[in-house]
Amino acid sequence: MAEGFDIDHLAKLARLSLTAEEKALYSSQLNSILGHFQALAQADLPATIDDARVVRESALRSDVPGPSLGAAAVTRIAPASRDGQISVPRVVDDEA
Amino acid sequence: MADALHTLSAAELGRRLAAGSLTSRALCAALIARYDAVNDKVGAFTHLDRADVLAQADASDARRRAGQGRGPLEGIPVAIKDNIAVQGQPLTCSSKMLASLVSPYDSHVAERLRAAGAILYGRLNMDEFAMGSSTENSALRKTYNPWDLARIPGGSSGGSAAALAAGLVPLSLGSDTGGSIRQPASHCGVVGLKPTYGLISRFGLVAFASSLDQIGPMARSVEDCELLLAALASADARDMTCFGPDERALTSAGEAKKLRIGIPKGFLGKGVAPEVAAAVEAAVAFYRAQGCTVSEVELPSADLAVPTYYVVATAEASSNLGRYDGVRYGHRSAQAGTPVEMMTNSRSEGFGAEVKRRILLGTFVLSAGYADAYYNRALRARAKIRAEYLAALSQVDVLLTPTVPTPAFKVGEKASDPLQLYLEDIFTIPANLAGLPALSVPCGKSGHLPVGFHLVGAPLSEAKLLAAGRLFEAAHGFAHQQAAL
Repeated sequence: MAEGFDIDHLAKLARLSLTAEEKALYSSQLNSILGHFQALAQADLPATIDDARVVRESALRSDVPGPSLGAAAVTRIAPASRDGQISVPRVVDDEA
Repeated sequence: MADALHTLSAAELGRRLAAGSLTSRALCAALIARYDAVNDKVGAFTHLDRADVLAQADASDARRRAGQGRGPLEGIPVAIKDNIAVQGQPLTCSSKMLASLVSPYDSHVAERLRAAGAILYGRLNMDEFAMGSSTENSALRKTYNPWDLARIPGGSSGGSAAALAAGLVPLSLGSDTGGSIRQPASHCGVVGLKPTYGLISRFGLVAFASSLDQIGPMARSVEDCELLLAALASADARDMTCFGPDERALTSAGEAKKLRIGIPKGFLGKGVAPEVAAAVEAAVAFYRAQGCTVSEVELPSADLAVPTYYVVATAEASSNLGRYDGVRYGHRSAQAGTPVEMMTNSRSEGFGAEVKRRILLGTFVLSAGYADAYYNRALRARAKIRAEYLAALSQVDVLLTPTVPTPAFKVGEKASDPLQLYLEDIFTIPANLAGLPALSVPCGKSGHLPVGFHLVGAPLSEAKLLAAGRLFEAAHGFAHQQAAL
């Protein structure tokens, strides 16, 4: 089942940068773990998952603003902030 | 007397506090002295703010003097796993990613403990983001099993269990996604309960796998565990999976000596250490002698539980941990030229090896071309496992197995083989997949190492599990046990 397993592609999807050693290690470990998952491929399983709803369907709360942390508390835990806002590397290129 | 305070149960401490023969300040001062004497050996706590603890204790004593005591937990310290938010205290999840985060808000359970007058006492070590079964995945420190300091305490709530076994605190909170309360409870000789999914609000619990995660109480006796559960379980609109006020009535405990106990076929066989099997068989014999009926039950899909769990849990984790991008809180890499570099470098520097492994695995099982073969099949297997457990629990009141197949292993022994470590959870995982309550109770020793048995019940049958645990505990010497340190 694990054919097509591409550690570079996965790392990109997961936004992780891996060293060559990490790539070799994780490829080998994930292949071994996925081998253990073969039991799932061979099992006789129900066609639907309706009765697996461990997570109950509760009513959503009404869409009105409630209490929130406030800008001061939020920027206090942010890695970088300026003038009450979280600062990040430039997203839009000026030259574009 | 102060020397012995760390050996007492929460119930006994509550009686002394109520009678006025003990103050919360004296209790907390004694526990801080105990912390100074043994925490470095055991490594259960990652943080303790002594001044804050004593200020809370003084406030509790003042309430009591004014006749405004808040109940049985008034003035009693409860230590908290470092993935449960307490305002003003660190919330690291034992990860470099959150090493400097101080929580700006209280979790629902922290609010409940404050309302009950409990002392919110320190932060407990854990596997990073609750991913692990040995607490070896903590980026902050090592935690050791108080019964044998060369061995692991279990995990991921290893600090929560070790703190109890070392007499550092009478009560603690853990979280359990696949056994993370019950497995360390078993390895450290204490009691741990994973409640029915939805009984306790997850608001303020850092998410690992949201459809499996539950907060639960841990203690040195079933009675104390029950005391803490009562304070925690209440409705909370901020967690949409938490039972509402009208949906949370527990099934009555009934007569513990008339319980129908089911033993899943084959569960005491392969992979179970002989001493563990012997201790669990002795527990079964005890219940039979008390008048309980014991019968074998079939759980034909039990072998699917571990793969099903590791597909569902890692899939949810890969999604939940997407939030750690270096933007709003947590670690931000200094190497951050573009936004994508900032995210990628922050995550690569902030996460440890097991977290990366699970994110990669979860990303794979959800990825285009593979989701049907893995994630969707795992959801169907989960439905099958749940149906089989509910069918078995319509025939019997509880299912009894070992909590863990083997006693605590040596530090480092399984560190290089993640799959072997995943198999530690073989008995505990199904309760999470099926949303069922489950309790681990100490029932013996393998040499000097504690062994626990595991009870699983139907949804909201916590009172039944706890009554069964109390019946066993009352007749054996394992409650209140502490390791000599």
